[in-house]
Amino acid sequence: MSRFFTTGSDSESESSLSGEELVTKPVGGNYGKQPLLLSEDEEDTKRVVRSAKDKRFEELTNLIRTIRNAMKIRDVTKCLEEFELLGKAYGKAKSIVDKEGVPRFYIRILADLEDYLNELWEDKEGKKKMNKNNAKALSTLRQKIRKYNRDFESHITSYKQSADEDAEKNEEDSEGSSDEDEDEDGVSAATFLKKKSEAPSGESRKFLKKMDVRARDEDEDSEDSEDDEDWDTGSTSSDSDSEEEEGKQTALASRFLKKAPTTDEDKKAAEKKREDKAKKKHDRKSKRLDEEEEDNEGGEWERVRGGVPLVKEKPKMFAKGTEITHAVVIKKLNEILQARGKKGTDRAAQIELLQLLVQIAAENNLGEGVIVKIKFNIIASLYDYNPNLATYMKPEMWGKCLDCINELMDILFANPNIFVGENILEESENLHNADQPLRVRGCILTLVERMDEEFTKIMQNTDPHSQEYVEHLKDEAQVCAIIERVQRYLEEKGTTEEVCRIYLLRILHTYYKFDYKAHQRQLTPPEGSSKSEQDQAENEGEDSAVLMERLCKYIYAKDRTDRIRTCAILCHIYHHALHSRWYQARDLMLMSHLQDNIQHADPPVQILYNRTMVQLGICAFRQGLTKDAHNALLDIQSSGRAKELLGQGLLLRSLQERNQEQEKVERRRQVPFHLHINLELLECVYLVSAMLLEIPYMAAHESDARRRMISKQFHHQLRVGERQPLLGPPESMREHVVAASKAMKMGDWKTCHSFIINEKMNGKVWDLFPEADKVRTMLVRKIQEESLRTYLFTYSSVYDSISMETLSDMFELDLPTVHSIISKMIINEELMASLDQPTQTVVMHRTEPTAQQNLALQLAEKLGSLVENNERVFDHKQGTYGGYFRDQKDGYRKNEGYMRRGGYRQQQSQTAY
Amino acid sequence: MASRKEGTGSTATSSSSTAGAAGKGKGKGGSGDSAVKQVQIDGLVVLKIIKHYQEEGQGTEVVQGVLLGLVVEDRLEITNCFPFPQHTEDDADFDEVQYQMEMMRSLRHVNIDHLHVGWYQSTYYGSFVTRALLDSQFSYQHAIEESVVLIYDPIKTAQGSLSLKAYRLTPKLMEVCKEKDFSPEALKKANITFEYMFEEVPIVIKNSHLINVLMWELEKKSAVADKHELLSLASSIFTLHFSNHLGKNLQLLMDRVDEMSQDIVKYNTYMRNTSKQQQQKHQYQQRRQQENMQRQSRGEPPLPEEDLSKLFKPPQPPARMDSLLIAGQINTYCQNIKEFTAQNLGKLFMAQALQEYNN
Repeated sequence: MSRFFTTGSDSESESSLSGEELVTKPVGGNYGKQPLLLSEDEEDTKRVVRSAKDKRFEELTNLIRTIRNAMKIRDVTKCLEEFELLGKAYGKAKSIVDKEGVPRFYIRILADLEDYLNELWEDKEGKKKMNKNNAKALSTLRQKIRKYNRDFESHITSYKQSADEDAEKNEEDSEGSSDEDEDEDGVSAATFLKKKSEAPSGESRKFLKKMDVRARDEDEDSEDSEDDEDWDTGSTSSDSDSEEEEGKQTALASRFLKKAPTTDEDKKAAEKKREDKAKKKHDRKSKRLDEEEEDNEGGEWERVRGGVPLVKEKPKMFAKGTEITHAVVIKKLNEILQARGKKGTDRAAQIELLQLLVQIAAENNLGEGVIVKIKFNIIASLYDYNPNLATYMKPEMWGKCLDCINELMDILFANPNIFVGENILEESENLHNADQPLRVRGCILTLVERMDEEFTKIMQNTDPHSQEYVEHLKDEAQVCAIIERVQRYLEEKGTTEEVCRIYLLRILHTYYKFDYKAHQRQLTPPEGSSKSEQDQAENEGEDSAVLMERLCKYIYAKDRTDRIRTCAILCHIYHHALHSRWYQARDLMLMSHLQDNIQHADPPVQILYNRTMVQLGICAFRQGLTKDAHNALLDIQSSGRAKELLGQGLLLRSLQERNQEQEKVERRRQVPFHLHINLELLECVYLVSAMLLEIPYMAAHESDARRRMISKQFHHQLRVGERQPLLGPPESMREHVVAASKAMKMGDWKTCHSFIINEKMNGKVWDLFPEADKVRTMLVRKIQEESLRTYLFTYSSVYDSISMETLSDMFELDLPTVHSIISKMIINEELMASLDQPTQTVVMHRTEPTAQQNLALQLAEKLGSLVENNERVFDHKQGTYGGYFRDQKDGYRKNEGYMRRGGYRQQQSQTAY
Repeated sequence: MASRKEGTGSTATSSSSTAGAAGKGKGKGGSGDSAVKQVQIDGLVVLKIIKHYQEEGQGTEVVQGVLLGLVVEDRLEITNCFPFPQHTEDDADFDEVQYQMEMMRSLRHVNIDHLHVGWYQSTYYGSFVTRALLDSQFSYQHAIEESVVLIYDPIKTAQGSLSLKAYRLTPKLMEVCKEKDFSPEALKKANITFEYMFEEVPIVIKNSHLINVLMWELEKKSAVADKHELLSLASSIFTLHFSNHLGKNLQLLMDRVDEMSQDIVKYNTYMRNTSKQQQQKHQYQQRRQQENMQRQSRGEPPLPEEDLSKLFKPPQPPARMDSLLIAGQINTYCQNIKEFTAQNLGKLFMAQALQEYNN
């Protein structure tokens, strides 16, 4: 806590510590925190409220107990194991520790362990006796704990100090020390320092005992709290002289308050307790240096460690007394930067140094130029921190990075006279001359682009179903805000190229988001203007559509690199499609001619293209344009690798085919989860549009030998459905579609409808659309129409004539629609019939060939090709002669309407000659 | 045709139900070398085969069995038979030979003819001309010269006319099969076409006199029903079987034609490849010759002769046996269709004449 109030340098050292920590131990943040000096009792009484904390601490204490046991029996291996676990557990408990401060018992075990190890280390004889494993573990553990304890140095020293003081106090008045209870504690605190050096094992035994007592105490406490009377009498009596009890009582009191006491008496009692407590606090403060209360211990702690980092680290930067000038700082900066990229460089330390430097620069008022320059370098080294591309930033680093960029932007906005640019040479930089505009080398755009990449990486590497992902996703707003700021900055100062780049970045963060506000506004335009004003007030930002339009148009006009324009177009189309502006989206897609040359683009752009096509298809579907939807989705779906093509995951199947390197590259290409397009939705949309196209087509061409499949995948699904030995009610989306197709084949639109639109399908698919109801109505209508067509194709041979009214009743379509559908079928020569206007009936012509006739026709065709093939063999035998036959045959073919093939044959005979 | 019609009415009366065409084929096919000129089947065997199919076969599945009997002078008497068990996946290690021997031994104990004289098989719409049939008939005929295969068509039988035919391989085909060379040249040399692959042997169904007497008596009693036979049969064929039967036949025929087409295409490619290679070979030889001439003029020794067949591996000729079989099958189908349509057309004309007469 204190560190937030102390000078910057303090916090600097803080963060640097954590940075260092990241390198050495992944275990997690040991922010130098003040030890938690409150008694165990107090914590335990708070259990009801803060169970998470207790759980963590319990875990820690359990581990500590095992360590102590291991120490006792000199099992260093076990110690090492447990110590590692402890570190992990501590990392887990970090969030609580952040709040509460480092628990004292934790510091104690660290101190004890170190002492114990040192002792073992000195004991040469004992070491010799040790077995090999133990000896090895001893040296590792010793190194580890040394490193680890460095982070806690201040705590440990203070702990030792306080322990000493406690001991002294104990001698003066036999008052218990802070964290233990009355009788046991004072002794232990005193003894344990004394004994520690000689017999840690004995100490630990004592510790154990203590734990037991503490546990007992807890029980008592709970009893206390349950019984008011008991508690009152008991506590007041002990209250007067025991400091330890005090802490407990406060907690109890506070808990009591939380419980909303019912009686006034209780309340009064609680009040009184609190007053007492406050008074005691003062006393204690003056009397003692440490413990008991969270809020005042911060103040205490400052004294112990306040100067430490400065004293310790300042010499690293500058010799004492050096006058800090621009030249010195820049020299130092360069010095630090020289180490960059070298092998042995501690990257964390570098960041720390740079941050220190910026602090110094700020303290000495060296001007914004220097600070900006150093900031640039800090961010750069933050990016450099990870050794390779695959790993991603730690959350702390990421947060720091965002902060840094924000600060940098603050400075840049505040000081419009600073010029930043990549093209400014090192020599021509002007960092301090206030008369001229400041010039700093560095590119804010690159930094932001890199930041965006890092963000993507973080999202890629987080489990999308965890809370963590949501947490990370919250940063998206911050990222967008930064991009927006940079955009504003560059609009003023940047070149067109830079503006294009930042616009693209902005677009990439906008295109996939559905603009609910704009959608809402669109839905309710005619409603009172007052409300719309209110709306406007609510969302002052412009419509994302307008924004996209503006940004994309700028890029179309100004951009000179193809890639940015391509991406912008695709994003624009995607955005249009997402908001159901089908015609704009389609026109843009056709005008861009991207379909012709997208295969030359790099994979990320291709992924974007695939995403756009899919979105376009889904958009078409929403508009009821099944054919367009089918065509747009065909390429993606027919490959069976939609997941891979959309960059939403790797296929297991092809895992063997690629090596590690390729896999890494592919992994980097993956689209973060929040940008994903629901694959089930995609497949469903595809299958349903295929069904709406294919079923009538199948019915129309039932006995046609040359019938082609419209959708292979759909047929595959049908076949799979047929192969099922036992057909239960449909479960999955596919089964639903297959069942619906079967119903549609019979012209049974009601069953079809109930299969396509029901609870299950709603939950799985249809509710995912922004305007689900509209889509559903459209779908029902489509199903009715296509079922009618299917019905007519299938059963027209049964009817001599059929009344349109009957049809309209059957399919619940209005008469004009039925009329128009039938007319269309007649015009397209799909239905051999005519309409009888006065009676409103369809009269069938019955000119369709029967099954036998169809078969005979097919056979004739096949025989024709057989003869032809045979003839070709004959040609071979005869060489190039045999013209007689051919001529004759050609004539025959012409009569039969085999023009095309005749032509082909002539062509062939020409080549033969 | 007329005689056949009579036969259909009472199946078991002893009458020859073989088509005249088959007899002709036999005459040409040179069955003179073979001792057997006629197959005489016991009524018992026919009934047993029919029963076997009815109980075990369904759809496209075929049933098979062994024929037992003996050769008497120039006729093969089939006096008994027993079925093969249906093959299933789980008893793959079922030993057929063992089973046959066992059966025959057991039958001998009950004083039944135990000489193996052939086998029978059911068929689905006459699609029996297959490689499997050819192979097994070849092995039968190789071991026992007189053996025949009886083909039973349950579908036709269900329509009213018992369809049971005896086939054997022609000696020519036996020769070819023995050499196992199905290349185009070999078949050409053997002068084999699809017409001379199988020869049909005339069949006579023979019953004991007692049964004959019984049949006569039965026929006399059912005289009334017989009168309506013709028309009712006709009507049933038109409504139920006509479209189905003809359609099925056409479908099968079409499939075979497709296969044939593919086969021809394959053959065609082979021909093209051969001729192309021939050309290359020729060119190579010419070049070699020219070079040698040049070398000769320069006084150098000519290049050594190389093995041309190593340089130009002749393409693998496609086996022609399959196409022969397909052709044979197509032939059967065509005959089926022809027979069927001829019958029905006849009936149509008859019905028309009746109608006119009545009017």
